[in-house]
Amino acid sequence: MDPSSSSIQEPFDLIRLSLSERVYIKLRGDREVTGVLHAYDGHMNLILSDVEETILIVDPDSATEAPVPVNVAKRKMDMLFVRGDGVILVSPPSRA
Amino acid sequence: MASPPLPDDRSPVPPPPPSFTGSPTEFLKNVVGKYVIVRLSSGVDYRGVLSCLDGYMNIAMEQTEEYVNGSVTNQYGDAFIRGNNVLYISAAEPL
Amino acid sequence: MSSQILPLELIDRCIGSRIWVIMKGNREFTGRLLGFDDFVNMVLEDVTEFEITPEGTKKTALAQTLLNGNNICMLIPGSEGPET
Repeated sequence: MDPSSSSIQEPFDLIRLSLSERVYIKLRGDREVTGVLHAYDGHMNLILSDVEETILIVDPDSATEAPVPVNVAKRKMDMLFVRGDGVILVSPPSRA
Repeated sequence: MASPPLPDDRSPVPPPPPSFTGSPTEFLKNVVGKYVIVRLSSGVDYRGVLSCLDGYMNIAMEQTEEYVNGSVTNQYGDAFIRGNNVLYISAAEPL
Repeated sequence: MSSQILPLELIDRCIGSRIWVIMKGNREFTGRLLGFDDFVNMVLEDVTEFEITPEGTKKTALAQTLLNGNNICMLIPGSEGPET
């Protein structure tokens, strides 16, 4: 198979093709991180480096149906382990 | 938008092949490459083209749009969705 | 010994009929059952989703749908759902 092909056979191929790339991760508890993906396993446990976590602080008493973030906090970590069960979505950099 | 219920277009044609089972596996075989709605138990929707899945219902999608409360909140060229979050996968175009 | 029917045998007999699915949360589905597997993942067609909130019930129409068995709580064969 052409190694540069963008075709993937199983979902984990998408993760494998993202090794050493900066990925976006959506986690349970309204957490989002971006970082460089170094390792993953079948649980989707992840090792990321050069990580930036974005914390959306929403007003739970907000009258609007979709609470808008009242504040966005960011913090950085050099190296991070993410436990797989918290992962909702992983998006690799655009391969376009 | 969710497409309206599909007309039953199977009746005038020869009966479905003997392999027709209606099973989840067969549904997934039919729906790969199609436009789908993936809803998570949190209520968040992902609409896009289904690239592939595995036995855990982990999903790879392309041209994905994230919907929260009916409005687009994110777009991803590719997205991996961990299967434990998935409530359903629904065909958004005729199979 | 009386013949014992297994729960999933009963559901197997519902294939082709409409069925009402009640999830663990505030969510219910009705649709025609096309098939299911050992995890009770279900393929439904001509589906209505009901999200039940204190403010009311939100209905969504869906075409052929694979429902994850993980969060299914109860199944009611032959029913059109919460509004019957």
